[in-house]
Amino acid sequence: MIRINNSTIIFFTISFGLLSFIASLSLGAADISFNDVISSLLASFSPEKDAQDVLFFERIIWELRMPRAILAFLAGCGLAVSGLILQTVTRNPLADPYLFGISSGASLGVVISIVLLGSTISVVTPVAAFAGSLVAMLMLLMISGRKQSQQVESMLLAGVALSFLFSSFTSLLLYHTDPQAVTAVLFWTMGSFSRAQWGVLWFPALVIISCVMMMLAYRRQLNAMLLGDESATTLGINVNRFRLVMLVLSSLITATLVSLCGGIGFVGLMIPHIVRYFVSQGTVFGIMLTALVGGIFMIWVDVLSRIVLENQELPVGVITSAVGSLFFLSLLYFRKNKA
Amino acid sequence: MNSSNDQSLSIPTAKTEILSVQHVSWHADNQLILDDISFAINKGSFTGVLGPNGAGKSSLLRCLYRYVKPNSGSVKFNQQDIWQQYDAYQYAQDIAVVLQETPTHFNLTVYDIVALGLLPHKSLFTREQSSDRQKIDCAIKQVGLVDKTLQNFEHLSGGEKQRVLIARAIVQSPSLLIMDEPTSHLDVRYQIQVIELAKSLGITVIASFHDLNLASAMCDQLIVLDKGKLVEQGTPQNVITSEMLSNVFGVCADVSVHSQHNVPHISYFYGYDTHDKTIQKSEHKSEFSHD
Repeated sequence: MIRINNSTIIFFTISFGLLSFIASLSLGAADISFNDVISSLLASFSPEKDAQDVLFFERIIWELRMPRAILAFLAGCGLAVSGLILQTVTRNPLADPYLFGISSGASLGVVISIVLLGSTISVVTPVAAFAGSLVAMLMLLMISGRKQSQQVESMLLAGVALSFLFSSFTSLLLYHTDPQAVTAVLFWTMGSFSRAQWGVLWFPALVIISCVMMMLAYRRQLNAMLLGDESATTLGINVNRFRLVMLVLSSLITATLVSLCGGIGFVGLMIPHIVRYFVSQGTVFGIMLTALVGGIFMIWVDVLSRIVLENQELPVGVITSAVGSLFFLSLLYFRKNKA
Repeated sequence: MNSSNDQSLSIPTAKTEILSVQHVSWHADNQLILDDISFAINKGSFTGVLGPNGAGKSSLLRCLYRYVKPNSGSVKFNQQDIWQQYDAYQYAQDIAVVLQETPTHFNLTVYDIVALGLLPHKSLFTREQSSDRQKIDCAIKQVGLVDKTLQNFEHLSGGEKQRVLIARAIVQSPSLLIMDEPTSHLDVRYQIQVIELAKSLGITVIASFHDLNLASAMCDQLIVLDKGKLVEQGTPQNVITSEMLSNVFGVCADVSVHSQHNVPHISYFYGYDTHDKTIQKSEHKSEFSHD
């Protein structure tokens, strides 16, 4: 295991994060040089800025790319942290924010909104997705909150079952609807940051920052959960209640992000694993690093999605899933070798 | 290692007892697991819980460390009911528990695990002070794992893992330590090491055992469970007898005095029918006096 000084790691990660952020503002269909990006960013701090001076490329930076980069960063942070929470409280290294049926619930919400309202209005879709994922979350809590024994196992199984249940309804509805809706739903489930606007960013920012704060406060409890339910109880934790609270937190993050960005798989699974390989996860440092690495990874995924194909955007979910699956397979391969 | 077996077992009184169990019964899925168990434990004593597999040892310990609530009866710690006058968090400040559960796949270091002992003493947003770090380092030193502080817990040997969990319990600074089969899966050297370490803490300890000779040598008091009932209770001299081994464990054995320590020592006979008392009594006479 590699061990480097914590502050060195944080310094490099933040530096690389800033660099990635500037790069994401520079790279894309319209070529904007690094210098232009930096001068535009610096100019925004100077008081003598005139509205008429705003150049075309500055509008691209400020109105298109910046909210996108911020949403991508938030999505990466949120999914990584959400995955970390779930893997910890279920003690299952394969737990993923989408394992619990939350994204299937969101998909169903989207499909229902399209079928019932017959439209693909951009305002309705996120609301419907959020409603769908909340329903999934409440159902999961109702089911897993009932049984006292074998909580982890029943929770995981309930999540998987719910996921299939929602998927079957989604398929049923799609089977009877017009092909246009099918395309709309398909694109939505593949994930995209194109809905990013300054006006909506406050919501994911609020949810993710408050959830990360709560995680930091409960970091010792999260670590203790890894010892096992009985040991955690003897350290003074009400295990079942704590697990439900953490499940709500992680579901809230996932629901928020799914409603804004669609389905982005595997990030929640792989980022905590990568970070865990280098540092201990249950410290303030470990949690912050997980969030940062997730955010930076997603900024680059967004950049890739914009530049891989000319004049066309590749769905974010396609990239994360491709990279994620390769990571996942190598994880299995190396773990097998280790045993 | 010459333990306090020569001391006579004083009967716990309100002043000296730390834990008292009164008429505790517990059933799971309509099956009676613990049946009307009562006993008390003195401050500073080392108590061993013995019994065959399925006798209810772990269940009894679970009742003591507040993981399961008995269906009837009460458990009192320092004269206070652990379910009515304590919550989990308060109880964890006084009682540390070492179990067989170990984390896997999550890259926790020895330090991380030992630091968890602070949990019951810290509020949510407080950071570790330098005195806390000192306490953790001290505990790691006490169990002799200083060179493994930053190592992954998963990569330690069974004995080392057990010592890490004891170090965590030390940081928790409890007045009572409960250990569920702390010596299972350990080789002889580690078995002795782990129990001596627990004894050296100078606090009250309750531990369940499968190795009866180890329990006999190390414990001040023994409690024997069979099919959920408390069948024997007292000093090793009083409890470890051929009759008890035959009745409770279904084995033929001779109980003599340990050649080095004044404690009962069991020699098992192999290939004998447990119920054939004639062979047992005529060929192997017990040398140990139970008076």
